[in-house]
Amino acid sequence: MKIDPFKELNPPTKDGYWINKKNKERYGGQYISPLLVPNLKRVQEGFFKAIKDKKFMKELNEELLSFIGVNTPIHFSPELTKLAGGEKKVGKIFLKRTDLHTNHSHKPISAYSCCKLAKYLGFKKVLTETGAFQNGRAVASACAALGLDLDIYVGANDAKKLAINKDISALHGANIIEVHDSTKSLLPAMAAALRAFQSEPDSMYIVGSVAGPHPYPLMVRTFASVIGRITKKQFKSLTGKDPSTIFAVCGGGSNLESITYPYIKSNKVKLYAVESAGKGIKTGKHGATISGGGKMGVLLGMRSKVLLNGGNIADSFTEASGLDFSSIGPEVAYLHSIGRIKFLTATDIEAKKTFMMMARKIGLICAIEACYVIHAAIREIKKTGKPKQNHLIHLCGSGEPNVAQMMEFMKKNK
Amino acid sequence: MSKLNKLFKNLKIKKKSAFCGFVTSGDPNYASSKAIMKEMTKHCHIIEAGQSFSTSTSDSPIIMEANDRAIKSGMNMTKTFKLIKEVIKETNNDTCFVIMTYLNPIVVYGVKKFIKSSASIGIAGVIIVDNNLNSPEEKILLNGLSKKGIGYTKIISPTNSEKFIQQSIKNTKNSFIYITTYAGLTGSKNVNLNNVKKLVYKVKKYSKNMPTGVGFGIKTPKQVKQVSKYADVVICGSNIVNKIKEGHERRLSAPKLAKFVAKYVKQLSESTK
Repeated sequence: MKIDPFKELNPPTKDGYWINKKNKERYGGQYISPLLVPNLKRVQEGFFKAIKDKKFMKELNEELLSFIGVNTPIHFSPELTKLAGGEKKVGKIFLKRTDLHTNHSHKPISAYSCCKLAKYLGFKKVLTETGAFQNGRAVASACAALGLDLDIYVGANDAKKLAINKDISALHGANIIEVHDSTKSLLPAMAAALRAFQSEPDSMYIVGSVAGPHPYPLMVRTFASVIGRITKKQFKSLTGKDPSTIFAVCGGGSNLESITYPYIKSNKVKLYAVESAGKGIKTGKHGATISGGGKMGVLLGMRSKVLLNGGNIADSFTEASGLDFSSIGPEVAYLHSIGRIKFLTATDIEAKKTFMMMARKIGLICAIEACYVIHAAIREIKKTGKPKQNHLIHLCGSGEPNVAQMMEFMKKNK
Repeated sequence: MSKLNKLFKNLKIKKKSAFCGFVTSGDPNYASSKAIMKEMTKHCHIIEAGQSFSTSTSDSPIIMEANDRAIKSGMNMTKTFKLIKEVIKETNNDTCFVIMTYLNPIVVYGVKKFIKSSASIGIAGVIIVDNNLNSPEEKILLNGLSKKGIGYTKIISPTNSEKFIQQSIKNTKNSFIYITTYAGLTGSKNVNLNNVKKLVYKVKKYSKNMPTGVGFGIKTPKQVKQVSKYADVVICGSNIVNKIKEGHERRLSAPKLAKFVAKYVKQLSESTK
């Protein structure tokens, strides 16, 4: 299946804001040190030039199809449908198998595209940050393929987890820098990468999510939307229509935006984001920026919803490293504010149980992140699903990096 | 006349540059930080007090560590205001206090409340590292602070465009424009005097009377002397913060730590021309 040309459906203002017309609240923008202004200008101008360059986009799409393998299948899951109440009651449940990409998650699409852009703009080196090392690994693979040097910033605490993705990044030749600031997790790693960008204007910074200063949220969702654009065509050819609902997990929001983007103006398609409730929203130990009562704040160059602790950023908590983020991409926060995306949650324990169910009953080892969405989707479809509806769940990654963590869980719960 | 403008007027008569020392407010804790600032008022025309932000995108590891120490000791914007208020009250001299921070602590504290508190305490100026020239918050802060006679400083670096520099001059009110000696992080490299000369010249070309503050990488009395030939304000930060760290690690009491830091600040300050 071919990738159709990108169409801008929800443009931000020229300063990178999505504005809620009702309450005038702004999401996005470019809140950065003046020292970063020239570096970001180069990336911004380069991005707008590249997406209009037919040769660049044609080449990129061909490589996404052949190297990343973006054309992954969508399949009907009779077992999940049965779990939700059966086809006659709730309709059918489908899975988009993004776990089958090279590097096994949604991250390689934007990672490869951004690295391709870095090369197009003449950069020789890339800087990025990572939490679960999904982004780190994806960028490392892309840099190896495109002949770029790479520094990956990772929180010292995160570096201890998910050793396989870290080792794979190192095997690809990435230089891994551990960050010991603050909470030693994704947020300080991202701040450290931005600081490095300030010191190394000859390197291009790449964000792993739809977050950061303008143009990063726009750039990452534009590139990542290839997943949704392919999905839309696939789903139509499979069922003859658009899905009734789409469910995707949401940390920063790249996974969510990647699959829902082409549907944001199709109001008949209900869009659901699932956040990690960690140990439970009420315990305060969660990674749910929207469902957990995040407030407007300014961090990492953007204005968006943030989990706050006084004037500083509160620690998020979840056992899924990919969802361990105390904020959310500005466009996602905007889409939530206008009521376009509904937010649900699942706890860590629910996700782990779902992981085991998927392994034992469906035969798939899913990324722990994907298990939050599968759990919450089945619960929601059980409640609101109708006959003849088609529900699409974004199976956003493979669970191979979670094997050690889940073996421990299995042994404890024998 | 605003506090900073008054300072620049006086120094102009004396043909002298101002010395500005940076510390993170509440580093390593409230009591020691207060003692340090009180002692520093004896040697600094301006004290730049950093309100720590854990997700800072522009500070060197030295300042990041100071931010962590301050946050761990429980600092926040309310306590920073309280600390500066007490220092001003207890020292009773002309030292100007400038708050340096990021936008998030101000947004969370409340933009209007921030302006009000700054005015009532007698804050001389404000620097917000990540407030974009065109952001809606920029207009509110610039207008609100200007109305109260509080200085508003923008930062420019050697890699910024002419247009950006002109706009930054326009948005700097009742204060000095902050020139960084290189494009990088605070205190991470050495002073580049050529950059200083060029940028000071550029600023004066567009706005003859705009006071220039120069910072980043100024660590020794010799460098202070060199920079003060061109700058109206010489700003030192990372090495002062390093002294605080050193004294804190030696477990000096608050008064001893203050004296230890001030001794170094005095050397720097006396080197301004």
